[in-house]
Amino acid sequence: MKFKKTFTVFLTVLIMTLSLSGCSKSSTTNNSQTQTEKKQVKITVMNSKGEIQTQLEKMAKAFMNDNKDITVEVIPAPAGQSPFEKVSSLYSSGNAPTLSMLDPGDIVKFKDKAADLSSEKWINDSFDRSLDSAKVDGKVIGFPFAVEGYGFIYNKELLDKAYGGNFDASAVKTQKDLEEMFKKLEASGVGSIIVSPMDWSLGGHFLPLSYSTQSKSSDDVNKFIEDLKAGKVELAQNKQFKGLMATLDIMKKHNISKSSPLSGTYENGPEALATKKAAVWFMGNWAWPQIHELDAENNSYAFLPVPISNDAADYGNSEIPVGVTKYFILDKEQNSQEQQAAAKKFLEWIVYNQTGQDYLVNKANVIPAFKNITIESQDPLAKSIKKYMSKGKTLQFMVTLPSDHWSKNGASMQKFLDNKIDVNGLAKEIQEYWKNIK
Amino acid sequence: MREESRFIDKLKTYIVYAGPTTFVFFTVIILPFLFGIYLTFTSYDGISNSHNLVGFANYIEAFKDTKFLASFLLTLKYVLYTVVFTNVIAFLFAYILTSGMKGQNFFRAGFFTPNLIGGIILGFIWQFIFSKLLVYIGNNFNIPIFSTSWLADPVRAFWTLVIVSVWQNSGYMMVIYIAGFMNVPKDLLEAANIDGANAWRRMVNVIIPMMIPSITICLFLTLQRGFMVYDVNLALTKGGPFKSTELISMYVYNQAFLSQKYGVGQAQAFVLFLVVALVSVIQVYFSKKMEVEA
Amino acid sequence: MMKKKGSITSIIKFLFLGIFFLAYMVPFIFVLINSFKSKKEILLNPMALPSKINFTNFLTAFNKMDYVHGFTNSLIITVFSVLLIVVLSSMTAYILVRKKWKFNQAIFFVMVASMIIPFQAIMIPLVRIYGSIGMLNSKWALIYMYIGFGTSLAVFMFHGFIKSIPLELEEAAMIDGAKGMQLFYLIVFPLLKPIAMTIAILDVLWIWNDFLLPSLVLIAPEQRTLPLSTFYFYGTYTADYGLSMAGLILTIIPVIIIYLILQKYIINGVLQGSIK
Repeated sequence: MKFKKTFTVFLTVLIMTLSLSGCSKSSTTNNSQTQTEKKQVKITVMNSKGEIQTQLEKMAKAFMNDNKDITVEVIPAPAGQSPFEKVSSLYSSGNAPTLSMLDPGDIVKFKDKAADLSSEKWINDSFDRSLDSAKVDGKVIGFPFAVEGYGFIYNKELLDKAYGGNFDASAVKTQKDLEEMFKKLEASGVGSIIVSPMDWSLGGHFLPLSYSTQSKSSDDVNKFIEDLKAGKVELAQNKQFKGLMATLDIMKKHNISKSSPLSGTYENGPEALATKKAAVWFMGNWAWPQIHELDAENNSYAFLPVPISNDAADYGNSEIPVGVTKYFILDKEQNSQEQQAAAKKFLEWIVYNQTGQDYLVNKANVIPAFKNITIESQDPLAKSIKKYMSKGKTLQFMVTLPSDHWSKNGASMQKFLDNKIDVNGLAKEIQEYWKNIK
Repeated sequence: MREESRFIDKLKTYIVYAGPTTFVFFTVIILPFLFGIYLTFTSYDGISNSHNLVGFANYIEAFKDTKFLASFLLTLKYVLYTVVFTNVIAFLFAYILTSGMKGQNFFRAGFFTPNLIGGIILGFIWQFIFSKLLVYIGNNFNIPIFSTSWLADPVRAFWTLVIVSVWQNSGYMMVIYIAGFMNVPKDLLEAANIDGANAWRRMVNVIIPMMIPSITICLFLTLQRGFMVYDVNLALTKGGPFKSTELISMYVYNQAFLSQKYGVGQAQAFVLFLVVALVSVIQVYFSKKMEVEA
Repeated sequence: MMKKKGSITSIIKFLFLGIFFLAYMVPFIFVLINSFKSKKEILLNPMALPSKINFTNFLTAFNKMDYVHGFTNSLIITVFSVLLIVVLSSMTAYILVRKKWKFNQAIFFVMVASMIIPFQAIMIPLVRIYGSIGMLNSKWALIYMYIGFGTSLAVFMFHGFIKSIPLELEEAAMIDGAKGMQLFYLIVFPLLKPIAMTIAILDVLWIWNDFLLPSLVLIAPEQRTLPLSTFYFYGTYTADYGLSMAGLILTIIPVIIIYLILQKYIINGVLQGSIK
């Protein structure tokens, strides 16, 4: 009996849902009818910078306000899924996004599917070298979306106090200066540095400093990478590598979480800065929204380079790595001509429209890769990066390393951070990694 | 039911009862699976439009990979612990919660709750508990074992995976065991009671033999989930610290999508499938044998 | 004497369960507490009680998730998938148990074996195949796939249960003139009630919470299920914790309600079934 009753309940629910779905179906057909009347074009944008998802959605809304005939839909790549994986599964499913935001190293894999953007207006307004990793076979297939940089983020208020007056960042140029700075901070009663143990930070950002500081010339850096692959480099004997790891040793010694160096998460960084448990954090400008949220009053944050030696003149001791870390590619395989045109319009709107620029710089906290955008960012970390750029004090941001470089070498870096291996052991593991790369 | 003797009658009966299921099952699981196996013999990278046949190259590379083997051994260890703990705890819960105590519905609902939430989110919640809550407790009440995060230590991080998996799965298995306990005929138990059998003897001689089907299902499910765990691994430890807790599913996944060696990853997934199939067949074989004997 | 001993064991049992129960509930208590707090409050002290009971997170989550839409989609997908899985699998299991053909044994073996195929191994081939015939981005395709993924376990569980049903019942009904489908729906299916309810509950939970498959199949926002919409306000580096926890609670409330209703029912059903 009871079973029959539940069955009737089930049936009722079924009928209900059927009628509901019927409703929604009819409403969508109505929509599409009105759409065809106005020649509506719908484009999708795959966002792989999850932290600006809301801002991008708002940006899309503002664009749609200016362009009533275009609908822009922003879909994020799930946390834990790489942009490459998300985009490739969307391609397999026949639902390729019109614009996909990719990491620079992945662009070349989509070279058959991406439209040629070489004749777009914004090409001429983009910064020198910002299109380097977007060029395949002489054609530009990527739109440089975000410039990012990293180094030691420091809280100037705390450093001013520790130095009893005005702290001069340009005075910190060597490992000795760095350690002295840590000691002064500690003497003033605050913690000095927090070292975040995430593999993407250690393996993807910290370790590559030892590659990019090899030489000012990017050809030499590339040659160094080739030599690594060929097994021709003895990292344990390499000056830059040894120096960088010596710096890490100093950081380890003063790390506020040294009792359990691997337990931290990304969130601990802004938290430690905001609660004044630490005054320095190794991270990039993408961290500003989180720092600002917890420490809203303080705009004194800026970047310091990571010194790799005790000679102030060495390359890398007064430079920070800066580069384009995200590109948009435009699909030409599964999107119609109209959709491609609409997407190009969207990109152009971002670069040349006042509202678009405002959203990009002020709402999404992105440092644009275009000379014509002159809006002054309110974000002190972005300002700091721009300062380094204008002085030409930048290093190459190693954006086209193999896709698992950060993960595999990040694991080795974690072992080093936790004192499970010494610098020779670390050098060996990293060399081993490179030997297996084809 | 009458016995169909002619093939055409058999086929008709089969199609009427099992046709739709079989069709959907083959098109959703078997077809993609076979297609996946085919891809292991190609240079397919997950994205390009064309690919070449490469023979056994992917398999050779898969077996040359020593880290694959290490991850496999770690997974075996993980499976062993989770299967034992999950089943013992679930069985105890089910036993107590079918003995007619007060509030048993409340407890049943409570123990089942972890199953109401998806693995990714459970992992995030537990990450927060291990790295924040327990550390806070450890520091404030001087319990050294909790004073640093378990997730930062390779051995303890492994145990967090076991704990969370047992916590998540025991409620599910409990439901199956409860159904099994309910199926133990009351008259058999009464007869045992009259014969003067104590609780232990009743358990060993009456209840457990009658529970073999439930035990088979639960062992099978826990084995299978153990070998394939991914969500919790990803959200809780991400394989860290320094890849010391990267279980096999995650390893294969990273191989295919992070290192972008799609063919090798797919080949390793297929090897994983063969091993799990072997283990499961052995387990089901022995359980079924016990069932027959009981 | 006897009574005293009984009460001591029941106290021990109660304590045992109580301790475990607390351990099982701690995570949920934290989700609940933090769902009322702002992100700042959570990051600075995740353990503190909320300074004030504030429903803004819930309201924001409700609107941002497009809860009504997500709920309707999840409901349609879950109800249809589960109903079809239960009905189709029970019939399949019945024929597999009652007809001892070689072919049936083979099919059963393949189904059981398929349960150990890692989802990752068929994920890309699956979307490739269904994408190429344009079957993606629809609820109905998703339901179709859930039937495919759900049948093996359901058939496996029904199989074990049907075996324990004595054949005499069906033989008696056959003498009374029942045949074919009638026999199954009037005699056998009602007996499957306890296991059917168990399967239904387990499948409801799986499908309601599933993330990876819908994220691959459903692309348009108006098709999103609740877990997808919950996910869509998560960041890559930092989640808006308070908001997402409120969203999480909104997502699981329907499941808890369904579970509480069905749980009561399943126990009655199982009890009646075992008395028979």
